[in-house]
Amino acid sequence: MLEIRNLTKSYGDVLALDRFSLDLAKGEVLGLLGPNGAGKTTLISILAGTLGGFTGTVTFQGQSLFASRQLKNRLGIVPQDMAFYEDLSAMDNLLFWGGLYDVPRAELKRRAAEILELVELAGRAKEPVKKFSGGMKRRLNTAIGLLHKPDLLLLDEPTVGIDVQAKVSILDIIRNVGAAGTAVIFTTHQLAEVETACSRIAIMDKGRILAQGTLDELVRIVGERTFVEISGEFGAGAFSEAIQDMPAPSVELMSAGDNLALLAVSDTDQIPRVMDRLFGRKLAVTDLTIKSPSLETVFLKLTGRSLRD
Amino acid sequence: MRRLLHVFTNDVRRHLRAPLVIVVFMAIPLAMTALIGAVFGPKPGANALPRIAVLVVDRDKSVASKLLLGAFDSARMKEMFEVTVIGESEGRERMKAGRASAMIVVPERFTLDLMEWKPVALTVVRNPAEQFLPDVAEEAVNTLAVVLSGAVRAFGDEVRGIRAMMDLPLEAFPWASLAPELAKAQSKVIAASKYLDPLLIRLESEEVKTAGSRPAVTRADVFSAVLPGMAIMFLLFIVQTVMRDILAEREDGTLRRMMSAPLRPLELVGARILGGWLMGLAVLLVMAAAGRLLFGATWGPFGYFLLLGATAAFWVAAFFALFHALVANRNQAGAIGAPVILVFSLFGGSMMSPDAMPAAFRPIGLFTPNRWFIDGAALVRDGRFPLAAVAVLGASGLALLALAVPALLRQTRSAS
Ligand SMILES: Nc1ncnc2c1ncn2[C@@H]1O[C@H](COP(=O)(O)OP(=O)(O)O)[C@@H](O)[C@H]1O
Ligand SMILES: [Mg+2]
Repeated sequence: MLEIRNLTKSYGDVLALDRFSLDLAKGEVLGLLGPNGAGKTTLISILAGTLGGFTGTVTFQGQSLFASRQLKNRLGIVPQDMAFYEDLSAMDNLLFWGGLYDVPRAELKRRAAEILELVELAGRAKEPVKKFSGGMKRRLNTAIGLLHKPDLLLLDEPTVGIDVQAKVSILDIIRNVGAAGTAVIFTTHQLAEVETACSRIAIMDKGRILAQGTLDELVRIVGERTFVEISGEFGAGAFSEAIQDMPAPSVELMSAGDNLALLAVSDTDQIPRVMDRLFGRKLAVTDLTIKSPSLETVFLKLTGRSLRD
Repeated sequence: MRRLLHVFTNDVRRHLRAPLVIVVFMAIPLAMTALIGAVFGPKPGANALPRIAVLVVDRDKSVASKLLLGAFDSARMKEMFEVTVIGESEGRERMKAGRASAMIVVPERFTLDLMEWKPVALTVVRNPAEQFLPDVAEEAVNTLAVVLSGAVRAFGDEVRGIRAMMDLPLEAFPWASLAPELAKAQSKVIAASKYLDPLLIRLESEEVKTAGSRPAVTRADVFSAVLPGMAIMFLLFIVQTVMRDILAEREDGTLRRMMSAPLRPLELVGARILGGWLMGLAVLLVMAAAGRLLFGATWGPFGYFLLLGATAAFWVAAFFALFHALVANRNQAGAIGAPVILVFSLFGGSMMSPDAMPAAFRPIGLFTPNRWFIDGAALVRDGRFPLAAVAVLGASGLALLALAVPALLRQTRSAS
């Protein structure tokens, strides 16, 4: 239902989206995982119709997404900012934001009450939103995007800055929306979220998708090996050089960045040898972590970056 | 069009939920009008009743005690009271000699304690030989104390914020600069209006009538002349406040969210301008009605006044639409907006009559909405059609609108 082809957008010298392409089917929940600055918000803003100056095409239900304002009625947007009116109640906010779409008034009222149940805010529907906790505000922010029953729901980091419980409830909502047939793209820079809530995961960095598939498919990229993540005060070049002549099947360099590198080893006996090499070259290692294959190692291999920063 | 009205009604609802700024901005011009009317109004004629002699011992000598004394000094109160500020020992002697009905002692630290919300006591020393007159004096002091403590309570933070102005004499007190201070006091409005109302009403109530000396016609004339200038000045403040949303929205992401819905930029811009216009007009009509009720001010034929008010509010809405399209952010809007309004008001005759200005400055007023509105209102009061005012404000308002709409549309698109 959604085909994105070669979407490219730059802000001056910064290339935020680089020939970005993606397909999405009805009812699919896609987790778009990328570090800060990967271009996630840029993508969502273009799809939401609030950012111009790009090239490429987006086809939605058979026509260009930007062909007609009416198509926006089929789209639900949950922005990264909490965008609603703090002085108004949750109910009034829903009625206002929902009222911007072509939903009959009576239907809108019914939907608003329904949605408030769904996001567990029904009991506080009449209170000014400024009294809400961060988690409640996030749930309202999400609810606003669902109100008009969109066919495609776009959520930009919907779980940022809230506690675990609130996070779980938002991910539940996202899953249920997908199960009801809405296609969903949600962006995040948190691995655990895409692992639990998505039918498909796409890893993006520097404006493009590096890999996509189910969790199992992605983990297969790195194979059944043991991984060693090494951080310290070293440059990418010095690190590669230090271990370059180690025998290939037993030690493989997956990615080397400044201050962070990922190695795959056939067995853990190799680790002391690696350390000997590094110390021999006087590379300052500050931390070493042993990992089994996971989305995190995939991510590290693909981007050379840890998601934590 | 449906979406335009939807955005408009939502804006109105939001302002009704948090009406402090608007209520304060409506109360201030009325209070200032009362003050100006009291100072410049015609002196009362021969009085039927003897005035009540009241002595005041001011140990505080600060803003609050000056306000209290100032209230006694207003023309209305002067009809009833003859106030003498006096040293304490001398005052007690006069009381003993039965030469006054009551003596009020304002304690030291009166203002400071009030600001810190400590209970303060005003002592009223009564003349035991008299029954009725000390009662009246005590009641008046009581009322003033309620008003004053209520105002301090409601505006505590702001009052503390303006402590720097404390040592000025009452006449030099920069009332106009209070406006932005008061505007900060979100959410306290209900309390504020509750406490401000009795002040305004009290000045008008029966006590004065029983004095049998109300110089109704001439006094109302003074108010009628002062009010339009005040009303247009605060209309500017109010519409500026209402339309500042345009900037807030750019900053908090709600604009972007609106633009992701099937709402046209032009519908949004239209809703905002309509909002400034109609909310401004509504407030102007409320101020006019309040002026009539409180001061007996006259406005002339309602149809003419409505047309003039609608044209002026339209001009102001178009002006602030353009203004907010051009400034970079809310801080800048705040920093530039208030001085602009004060300059309009100064040269446009809201603060002083153009006749009192040096001749060279007078033509500047022709470039302000204040001057046209004030002149128009004077015509309307005489039952004449304010043709020039409506034509000038209408035409220049349309010109402002023609500049504002494309500028705002550009903002709406680029903010996302
Ligand atoms: N308005 C802007 N002006 C200039 N550069 C921008 C702007 N918005 C985003 N960028 C840059 O574009 C890149 C992608 O940003 P963004 O889409 O916000 O990433 P993400 O949401 O994944 O963190 C980043 O390098 C960011 O600095
Ligand atoms: Mg982002």
